[in-house]
Amino acid sequence: MQETFLLPLIIALPLLGFVLLGLFGKRFGEPAAGWLASLLVLGSFLLGLFLLLQGGAKWTLAEWLPGIPFSLNLDNLSGVMLMVVAGVGFLIHVWAIGYMHGDPGYSRFFSYFNLFIAAMLVLVLGDSLPVVFIGWEGVGLASYLLIGFWYQERVNADSARKAFIVNRIGDLGFLLAMGLLWSMFGTLSISELVEKVEAGGYSFTTLTLAGFFLLIGAIGKSAQVPLMVWLPDAMAGPTPVSALIHAATMVTAGVYLMVRHAFMLHGDGFLAGLIVAIGLLTAFYGALCSLGQWDIKRIVAYTTLSQLGFMFVAVGVGAYWVAIFHIVTHAFFKALMFMTSGSVIHALGGEQDVRQMGGMRKYLPATHLHGLVAAFASGGLVPLAGFWSKDAILAYSFEYGPWLWALMLLASVLAALYSIRWYVLVFWGDYRGKAHPHESPAVMLWPNHILMGGALGVGFIGLPYVIDYKNFIEPFLTRAIGDFPHEKLPVVTEWVLIIISAVVAIAALWWGFRFFQQKMPAWYERFQAAALQGFYADAAYNALLVNPAKGLAELLFSGDRGLLFGFAGLGSLMGGLGALLARLETGALRFYLAGLLLALVLLVGWGVLR
Amino acid sequence: MIWLIASALLFSIGAYGALTRRTAILMFLSIELMLNAAALSLISFSRLSGSLDAQVVVLFIIAIAAAEVAVGLGLIVAIFRRRETTNVDELRQLRG
Repeated sequence: MQETFLLPLIIALPLLGFVLLGLFGKRFGEPAAGWLASLLVLGSFLLGLFLLLQGGAKWTLAEWLPGIPFSLNLDNLSGVMLMVVAGVGFLIHVWAIGYMHGDPGYSRFFSYFNLFIAAMLVLVLGDSLPVVFIGWEGVGLASYLLIGFWYQERVNADSARKAFIVNRIGDLGFLLAMGLLWSMFGTLSISELVEKVEAGGYSFTTLTLAGFFLLIGAIGKSAQVPLMVWLPDAMAGPTPVSALIHAATMVTAGVYLMVRHAFMLHGDGFLAGLIVAIGLLTAFYGALCSLGQWDIKRIVAYTTLSQLGFMFVAVGVGAYWVAIFHIVTHAFFKALMFMTSGSVIHALGGEQDVRQMGGMRKYLPATHLHGLVAAFASGGLVPLAGFWSKDAILAYSFEYGPWLWALMLLASVLAALYSIRWYVLVFWGDYRGKAHPHESPAVMLWPNHILMGGALGVGFIGLPYVIDYKNFIEPFLTRAIGDFPHEKLPVVTEWVLIIISAVVAIAALWWGFRFFQQKMPAWYERFQAAALQGFYADAAYNALLVNPAKGLAELLFSGDRGLLFGFAGLGSLMGGLGALLARLETGALRFYLAGLLLALVLLVGWGVLR
Repeated sequence: MIWLIASALLFSIGAYGALTRRTAILMFLSIELMLNAAALSLISFSRLSGSLDAQVVVLFIIAIAAAEVAVGLGLIVAIFRRRETTNVDELRQLRG
């Protein structure tokens, strides 16, 4: 751990891009703006890699807020997140150079994109909660700006607002947690909090409450069950936004936050159970909703919800390193899935309805390969990236309780089904649309090639212990998260679990591959209609929360207007009186004189008669 | 005592003139009459009370009246040069 000014430089690079492109973006012109933004992110990535290989870094600006230093911390945990954010972020930037080609807001897009990366890096690197909060709000802002990027359309602007408002609800939790922790420990630096919590001497109930508030913040950012409604709507933004923000990075910030605070959550049965329940619910909800969607990006958005639920379960059962491991693999295969979808959308001139797709494997051979790998990795086929991280979650779930393992296995069956459904609808069958598909340019294909490599191979950094191969990521991460020892499963059980999950995934993929090619039976159509509406979650929210709130607002507004009307009436009354008096002012000298004398006579008269 | 009555008469004539005349010059004369009436009554009071304080005030009144006439006549002449009239009913530019 060294003090170095290179650490803030990692954040400053994309921030510089945001400023430059925001001020002079139009002058850079079309490809230059995109390349500038991409290279700055690559710079952050390389700088971060360099510092990580040096064994981490710290940087502190003591005089920030009274008692709260501005501190950044690059340890193994934030390092892994930084690699994902800047690395996958760089690939998505490059891909966006091709995807955003010809958009009138080209440089504005990359300016926002760099702002997002900068904010995300603040979130990841921040070592005190207020610093994390700056990044936390920053990514929310960038997400808002990018969802509403095509702001001329009313729907997009509404979606952006929805995402912003729902996220604010979660942020309230974060703020409350900060206040509570400050009052408990008098510090908001995470590293100091770790020491103070380990030292003990505080009320466990209050700490649980603080953890609960943090959880609410995480739920908002990671779109878990009560606050999940914004993520599918967030697909209104351009596809690179969906890939970068709403699949690979920002939505995992909630999971990251909880892993960072593992020292608070660990050993708290109530919170752990709550997190498991929320994660499980979200995993199922997202998976089932995804099975009914027709919009290609909404399909993938709901799969993201489901996978985030998996991560929450991992946190709940105490498998903190597994949650991060799943973030890493998920970033690769979900970004690949999104960008494959984007390539298809690009090829079809903006078509997003999967009913107008199909047969793409003939027209887009390279993209088809990407889609195949993405679907298999997301569906958990051995030995792709998604399998190993999901299997680790399943193993920990089995330790928590075999019932949880069974439910998670069911959720992963659904994961295999939605992955293969996406793949079949887009790439198999006959082409159902009217556009003329054309393969994407090289600038879009190459990032996908690299991501495909990740989706294929990145799982091998975290193989289960029974396979005689070095698990690289677990010791690497536990050094930063803290060691929470647990009993390893017996070798036989572990092997049985691995084989069951592998066989189940293959069977589900195969069955889904057959099932989604034929005509849908009636029961499935009924299910689909409900899933398309997200099981009426939005309608329920509107009926229960949004409309009453709207009514209250209308009521208050009419009260306001009444009050204003009253004040305006009073004002005009006074004005009228003034105008009446003003008519006395004629400018006629003798009239004034007469008034003067009259007043004199009256005064003298009053004086005499008194 | 008789001087006080004379003063009152003089003041009333002045007030009447100031109210009825339209020409600025004549209004001016009437105002001078009222000032003189005031001075006269002050002299009478001084005589009645045997104190000289009021006479000092009269000196002030004479000085102020002289200054006022100098400024006022100047103004009237200037207005007449511009407007060819000194009728106060036509001079109402200062109305609100």
